[in-house]
Amino acid sequence: MSNVQTEERYDLSVVGWFSVAAVIYLVVGASVGVIAASELAWPALNFDLPYITFGRLRPLHTNTVIFAFGGCTLMGAAFYIVQRTCQTRLWSNKLAWFTFWGWNAIIVSAVITLPLGITQGKEYAELEWPIDIAIAVVWLSYFFNFVMTVVNRKTPHIYVANWFFMAMMVMITYLHVINSLVIPVGLFKSYSIFSGVQDAMVQWWYGHNAVGFFLTAGFLGIMYYFIPKQANRPIFSYRLSVLHFWALTFGYVWLGAHHLQYTALPDWTGSLAAAVSMAMIIPSWGGAVNGMMTLSGAWDKLRTDYVLRFLVVALAFYAMSTFEGPLMSVKSVNALSHYTDWTIGHVHSGALGWVVMVSVGAIYHMVTKLWKTEIYSTRLVNFHFWIHTIGIVIYICAMWVSGIMQGLMWRAYDEYGNLVYSFAESVAAMHPYYALRVVGGICVLLGAIVMLYNVIMTINKSKVKVAESSSQPATATA
Amino acid sequence: MSEKHDPYEAKDTGHEWDSIRELDNPPPRWWMIGLHISWISVVVYIILFPAVPLINSATKGILGWTSIKRLHAQVAEIEAVRKPYDEKLKGMDMEEILKNNELLTFAQGGAKVIFGDHCAPCHGAGGQGGPKFPVLADDDWLYGGTAETIVETITDGRQGNMPAHASTLSKKELDDVVQYVVGLSSGKVYEAGLAVFMGETEAEAACASCHGVDAKGMTMVGAPNLTDSLWRFSGTEEGIRYTVEHGVNDEEDALTRNAVMPAFGEKLSKLQIKKLALLVHQFGGGQAAVVDDEE
Repeated sequence: MSNVQTEERYDLSVVGWFSVAAVIYLVVGASVGVIAASELAWPALNFDLPYITFGRLRPLHTNTVIFAFGGCTLMGAAFYIVQRTCQTRLWSNKLAWFTFWGWNAIIVSAVITLPLGITQGKEYAELEWPIDIAIAVVWLSYFFNFVMTVVNRKTPHIYVANWFFMAMMVMITYLHVINSLVIPVGLFKSYSIFSGVQDAMVQWWYGHNAVGFFLTAGFLGIMYYFIPKQANRPIFSYRLSVLHFWALTFGYVWLGAHHLQYTALPDWTGSLAAAVSMAMIIPSWGGAVNGMMTLSGAWDKLRTDYVLRFLVVALAFYAMSTFEGPLMSVKSVNALSHYTDWTIGHVHSGALGWVVMVSVGAIYHMVTKLWKTEIYSTRLVNFHFWIHTIGIVIYICAMWVSGIMQGLMWRAYDEYGNLVYSFAESVAAMHPYYALRVVGGICVLLGAIVMLYNVIMTINKSKVKVAESSSQPATATA
Repeated sequence: MSEKHDPYEAKDTGHEWDSIRELDNPPPRWWMIGLHISWISVVVYIILFPAVPLINSATKGILGWTSIKRLHAQVAEIEAVRKPYDEKLKGMDMEEILKNNELLTFAQGGAKVIFGDHCAPCHGAGGQGGPKFPVLADDDWLYGGTAETIVETITDGRQGNMPAHASTLSKKELDDVVQYVVGLSSGKVYEAGLAVFMGETEAEAACASCHGVDAKGMTMVGAPNLTDSLWRFSGTEEGIRYTVEHGVNDEEDALTRNAVMPAFGEKLSKLQIKKLALLVHQFGGGQAAVVDDEE
């Protein structure tokens, strides 16, 4: 078939905008992260301004990287993949633009409200109820458009990437709606309808699955399209896809309580969560194995294809953090790791290693396809790869050492049975690692800036306007 | 060459999306074995530990494990080590403990973290004091430096008290008394100020009634020694003037200096306070009980 001809039928302009927005948000999110990390190392940097204290910057950082960068990547990639793998254009291009502008309006409202201290105080679900409602509406527009496009497909079967996207869409809808159930007491203030341990349980059922479905299932969807595409190899095993898809989808929702070991939550919730967490290692690795084995016979491409490098190293980090996470969920390990920087290190090995790397690979790939040109500079892609990888390694190692040290210092007893360290001493001991983390963060930020430059230059030199490829008769709702 | 390393090209599922094909390989054997081990281990875990919710309770698991039991067991392990020392410490008075090296080491070790968590924010990690908080590591004591007095200070807290003199002293008297106090540390006597200090002028300020005629302070009321170059707030002329003008904890002066130490009697146990007092006493400047009696 002729790719050029088929591409003319797709709605790709919105995909291009999502992709560029994602790169911009990566730069913004990483910048906020670097500032927040610097404040932890050198607290005077908040200049006593409430708007930029750590407590307000931290949710701004997480919301920007997860929902702005991650969200735009997911939406752009999903709209790209669903059209190409279903051989049909979007059910509604207009609705896709509604999703784009709606999602960005939500991001802007987050950037305004979080520094003002308007928050529900729920991790990764800080935004107040009017914004939550907007999220639900925009998310459903994305969901509906995607599903209708799948319905309109011209291929007999639904590609595995789309299973993962749909699993994410179903789960995130119901996680977001249930965790955001509140009683409003004003335009910017509300109280959760759950209380006490129930609230904590619902929050972490949501929190873990924001990781499990938003940051894992969704990005597995991205992986399942871009790895075979970039490597030009067939997917290794259909059966493995089916097995690990259902194992993950069935298992992930049980894990939330492992964030609350040794709290007021009943013991059974924690044991159940830990048991299923451990059982998630193999299903998670199923995705990594399927991606890696897809490269069988194409490993030599890694020498020259930097985009493929991002995608493959992403899988390595995915395999590593999906092993580390279950380990940390086990009660005896959790007793050491909980409340320490180890958790932060774990999150960032998943976020920077897996999510960002697979996204970056996908976006480099999409940009060249959308604008029908080679990347402006492969050397800069290579530079991005190395600076990003070095940044992650510095960041994760600093947090491992710092976290395990914290855990050990908090529990250290002398020969008389007296605690050895005061809390303040453990804080003071963290300082060099906090400084090191800033260095790691700066590397990642630098890589993101280089990427933005590279993407802009690529688009500039392209003679194709992406808008043109979707400028077909507006009868998209065929 | 790459073809040679690819044992999987042979068959696919016949599906193709955007020129991506899917091979029909079975999952790797180790992976399938792992998957079965995974679900079996969930079952085993559920049997061993509390895991299944019932209507009003949950299954207990055959190991009888609970997180609170684990906590109690670990705390008990530490307490078993600590208990004999604690018992001895409870029964002894401070002077006795100060002579017993082992118990003293134990008490100081136990107090270190209590000090770090409760006292260090103001007094500094080693008792070196802060910009507005007293040094504990020297032998200059506002309220007395015997172990018993320190226990009192920690238990009930302390509140400095000095009236503001901005409205009771004339400009000249103020200047004089400030000069006098400045001179004290270097042994200079500024006669005009001495009269104000002693309360012999019309203003009857009577600094001496709290700080003593020799200006060496009075621990009974927490009035500091003004002759030793160690200053509670500030030893500069400006700082001394500020203290005289606005006093300490004078409710009627909005600019008054603040000197409040909260009471820890309800926050910490008697034994914890005892250990803490021993630590503070040994920071460098603790006084023996006998000396205190003489004062």
